[in-house]
Amino acid sequence: MELEVDENDLKAAGAELFDDGGRRGIRIHGWSVESRKHSILKSSTLQEWEQKLQTSHLPEMVFGDNTLILKHLSSGTKIHFNAFDALCGWKQEALPPVEVPAAAKWKFRSKPTQEIILDYDYTFTTPYCGSGTIEIDKKLNEGEISEETSNIHWEDCKEQIDVVALATKEPILFFDEVVLYEDELADNGVSLLTVKVRVMPSSWFLLLRFWLRVDGVLIRLRETRMHCVFGGSATPIILRESCWRESTFQALSAMEHPFDSGAYGDPSIISQKLPIIMHTTQRLVISS
Amino acid sequence: MSDLDRQIEQLKRCEPLKESEVKSLCLKAMEILVEESNVQRVDAPVTICGDIHGQFYDMKELFKVGGDCPKTNYLFLGDFVDRGFYSVETFLLLLALKVRYPDRITLIRGNHESRQITQVYGFYDECLRKYGSVNVWRYCTDIFDYLSLSALIENKIFSVHGGLSPAISTLDQIRTIDRKQEVPHDGAMCDLLWSDPEDIVDGWGLSPRGAGFLFGGSVVASFNHSNNIDYICRAHQLVMEGYKWMFNNQIVTVWSAPNYCYRCGNVAAILELNGNLNKQFRVFDAAPQESRGAPAKKPAPDYFL
Repeated sequence: MELEVDENDLKAAGAELFDDGGRRGIRIHGWSVESRKHSILKSSTLQEWEQKLQTSHLPEMVFGDNTLILKHLSSGTKIHFNAFDALCGWKQEALPPVEVPAAAKWKFRSKPTQEIILDYDYTFTTPYCGSGTIEIDKKLNEGEISEETSNIHWEDCKEQIDVVALATKEPILFFDEVVLYEDELADNGVSLLTVKVRVMPSSWFLLLRFWLRVDGVLIRLRETRMHCVFGGSATPIILRESCWRESTFQALSAMEHPFDSGAYGDPSIISQKLPIIMHTTQRLVISS
Repeated sequence: MSDLDRQIEQLKRCEPLKESEVKSLCLKAMEILVEESNVQRVDAPVTICGDIHGQFYDMKELFKVGGDCPKTNYLFLGDFVDRGFYSVETFLLLLALKVRYPDRITLIRGNHESRQITQVYGFYDECLRKYGSVNVWRYCTDIFDYLSLSALIENKIFSVHGGLSPAISTLDQIRTIDRKQEVPHDGAMCDLLWSDPEDIVDGWGLSPRGAGFLFGGSVVASFNHSNNIDYICRAHQLVMEGYKWMFNNQIVTVWSAPNYCYRCGNVAAILELNGNLNKQFRVFDAAPQESRGAPAKKPAPDYFL
């Protein structure tokens, strides 16, 4: 559902919205911010992905054509988010499986002959914090253009994202939330990777969130925030903060938080209750 | 017009019944369901439907495609509730049709027809929101315990929500289960409602969660052979194309919730069997936005941090 945006706010910011079928977005201060939303992958494409990723298990809802792309036109900086890169991260991290509460009882069940125990990380936990490249069009002889791409580089820094500035109610000119993948863990909880963005007259801000709840066992929240204040410089300044939080249901109930899964539907509400296990702040470095 | 016919008309408009009406409807349904077998006999022609998940307006599309009950004979494979916005109206409409036309609609139990699961995935909260108390949830979940576990069409097609169990090799073994209970965490009844077919195992597989069976092609082949069955029809798993055959057409998954969770963009399917058990899949899309009652409001700006 689209947000209602005041034409005057857009005009004052020198911004322009676009909406072209599955692609919608905004052009503002030399940036183009674009989201694409489509259906989940068809069975045949899913099989191709399984081959490429060398796995026989993918989330049941892979929004493989969904993406969020933020492009700084003059520097060629492109930051984007997609399910494939995120699943590459899952495959690489390959965490050991988490047992559900019923598993304790199942250990005493009589085993069928010929039983294989599967051991992939069915939670689809990923360290993914976005993809990025620099795309520069170089003019060659005779007017040909070759596109050179190089990876972008992030460097640890002491600066932090200015949350106070982000809390001011500056008008939102563009907002979207894009699901990258989702799995219901066969009704044992939820695994969900989404990215949402908001663009204001002075900056853009995004939140990539991996949210996992294994009912009765574990809650995991891995968030990456990026903030870019529009400025006059030729290369953009982007800050990136990643924060990983995690807790078991047992630890939560020991802190007198509820034990039932129904209480843990919305990650925004419970994130503060979860201890931080990793936190980094980085800034984008563009080397010429 | 009888009270029941009036209630069916009301539910077809997606208007829930009064709490007292739900109570008496459930009592009548219980009398019918208690007589059904764990392997309920179903005659052809019949139309088989998979998961609905409270997507009421999409179920109305299903009836548009498949025809109205009682004109069409239906078999629903469970998971009527949770996740969608209208679990109450969806389940009550199906239940009212069951009471009104007991021989023209068969409802079997899915893993979501359970007290524990509905408390996490939406039905409990929806009852509380729509009635201000959990009484309706209690009446409905009590009825869940009476739902049959499987169906057998003309002795040739075995239908179940999830799949097979290593504790079950014959249909008679299913018939001996005492089903009138909350879905257990393990055992044959649990497996029938929870297990999945899996390509990469041939025999049995154990889920990486440490609970939940996966079964391969040879398990299905030997079950079908020893029970003299043509194929198994099950639901339980989302399929983008609405249905999916596996293991050389020995098992088919039917999924009947289009645009699942209102965002997946998948199509749904139902399986029509004629009097000679000839198959026809009918694929359908989600109901158009304007037929879903009140239009959604423009959202407030999201100042997420």
